[in-house]
Amino acid sequence: MHTTRILLVVATVLSAIIFLGMTVDTLREMGPRTHADQISERVVAGKWLWQKNDCNDCHTILGIGGYYAPDVTKSYSIRGEAWLKAFLKDPAQMYPNTRQMPNFHFSDDQVGAIVAYLKWVSEVDTNGWPPAPEGVALQASGGQKVFLAQHCNTCHAIEGSGGTLAPDLTHVGSRRAEDWILQQINDPRSHKADSIMPSFAQLPGDQKQELADYLAGLK
Amino acid sequence: MRYKSQRIAREYFLVALPLFFLQVVFGLLASVKYVWNYDPLLNILPFNIARTIHLNLLVFWLLLALMGATYYMVADEINTEIYSLRLARIQLWLLSASGVAAIIGYFFHWSFGMPFLEQPTIIKVAIVIGALMFLYNIVMTMFANHHKLTRTTATLLGGMVMLSVMFLFGIPFMPNLSTQYYFWWWVIHLWVEGAWELIAASLVAWCLIKLTGVSRKTVEGWVFAEVALVLLTGIIGTGHHYYWIGTPHYWLVWGAVFSAAEPIPIIMMLVDAVRDLLKARTLPIVNTLALAWLGAGAFVHFMGAGVWGFGQTLPQINRWTHGTQITASHGHFAFWGAYAMLAIALMYAVLPEIAGRAPNGKQGIGFAAFMCLNFSMIFMVMALLIAGIVQVYLQRVMGLDFLEVQGHLRLWFEVRLVAGCVFTVGTLLLLWDLVRLALPQRAERMAVEAVGAPAD
Repeated sequence: MHTTRILLVVATVLSAIIFLGMTVDTLREMGPRTHADQISERVVAGKWLWQKNDCNDCHTILGIGGYYAPDVTKSYSIRGEAWLKAFLKDPAQMYPNTRQMPNFHFSDDQVGAIVAYLKWVSEVDTNGWPPAPEGVALQASGGQKVFLAQHCNTCHAIEGSGGTLAPDLTHVGSRRAEDWILQQINDPRSHKADSIMPSFAQLPGDQKQELADYLAGLK
Repeated sequence: MRYKSQRIAREYFLVALPLFFLQVVFGLLASVKYVWNYDPLLNILPFNIARTIHLNLLVFWLLLALMGATYYMVADEINTEIYSLRLARIQLWLLSASGVAAIIGYFFHWSFGMPFLEQPTIIKVAIVIGALMFLYNIVMTMFANHHKLTRTTATLLGGMVMLSVMFLFGIPFMPNLSTQYYFWWWVIHLWVEGAWELIAASLVAWCLIKLTGVSRKTVEGWVFAEVALVLLTGIIGTGHHYYWIGTPHYWLVWGAVFSAAEPIPIIMMLVDAVRDLLKARTLPIVNTLALAWLGAGAFVHFMGAGVWGFGQTLPQINRWTHGTQITASHGHFAFWGAYAMLAIALMYAVLPEIAGRAPNGKQGIGFAAFMCLNFSMIFMVMALLIAGIVQVYLQRVMGLDFLEVQGHLRLWFEVRLVAGCVFTVGTLLLLWDLVRLALPQRAERMAVEAVGAPAD
């Protein structure tokens, strides 16, 4: 009787002390890990819009929330600012035939705040989550690997696999020359002034070349 | 029923039951949206609101049912009337009104926006006041006769205090999302893998003593050891939620080690329940249905929380499964087994006593509900598990886009929807059966009428 009672008290107190100690250390370390100094008023405004509109009950963020819509932790780095802004203004235009997100009729200012918030989230050190897809690394090579690694397939489809937002690239090589494709990768707006495709100019030159080679070969 | 004030439990149950039914209806609506892309309710009841209401009703009905059972149990254990019946009734109305206000508010974007804790701050304050009323009432009842404090009641009190304190960490808005989620888990995790486990362990022990006739000494023997292990593994085990949210790397080790041990107390509880039930074989069993829910609950608790939870608690696996349908599968299975089945068992144990009925009356509908609910839940959980495994492979391993993968999962969402329909039928049967049990039997009604009748 007494032994278990003592065990109970010791276990509880000990666990609580260790846990609280770790909490103190965690909160200290989280400052630099989450770039807390970059949480501007705009980021906080974006966070409140995210909460007020209950976004988290469809989307996950840091992997937590509803599982109905895509995780947004890295959406800023994957999609880019222009894409996110266009999407938030009119979600239905992006994905007309799949699961729908309601139009929240955000003002430009609100869209800017949400995007600032998503940018901040995308820079949080998440211990490498979400993991880079291994299947892509194992199976694809050259330009195809770049295509998948840069998530081009979220918007463009090839042979029925990929998004429907941007033009299908199954036969892009028979429509466009390699130079044109390379130019599109570097500066999409040079071909179409209001293009929402992000620029991939920041990629290393050989990767861009491989990607252009691969796409030009899709006849 | 030995004390008049114990009757308050019935009022709590009668509010909880329709909320349970509504929870299932909103779950069904949400699951339809997984199957068909065209959503006619997109601008009235989009998925996020349906899910919010589904989660909130779950918490509300479970809390109300467990609170009602607690009032009944504490009076029973301490051998006294409840300290203030009036306070218990005000508390019930306050909590019900807060719940209804919250749910109506969600339709108008009145939300705090953290999953499970979407209630706007003012409603959270009302919930805290309701919880304080409850604690005060229970403590005053317990200490009216404090030398009767048993291990079971002490555990219950510990769980109730922990539940109330932890809720406070879910109230403030924090500018840093990582910090917000750090403390959000203090509510979510330390509730379901801490405070609620204590409350459940205590109510299960009381129920077993009551239903089987096995001695208190036997049933209570392991309770403190189980609770000690729940807290020892569960508190630091919170770390299995701190792998990927901007928290330091050492949580991958601490969270893994402690949370991997979390099934140990759950296995103990299962073995404990089986041991008691085997002992009871020679004793006359009066309330078969209550005991069926209790025994099956111990098993599903072990499967849903223990096995399904352990399955993805290690960071090597969780890295791939985090935030997929596998979590949805685990959530449904664990909540059902650990808490919903217990709440139902308690209603079956308590309601016939309040209504003055023989618990072994007509049990056909009750068993039909038992079968319907449990089998359809298993189908639902398996469909979500398979959907989750396919999702991990296509999305996380192969790198396909989220929405494209969801298209490939449609078959499993259809299976889940069908199972959900069967579950809804089961809920209706259960509701019918329990409301029938809650109504006073004719003898009681006649007695009441006789007392209330005007004198000649």
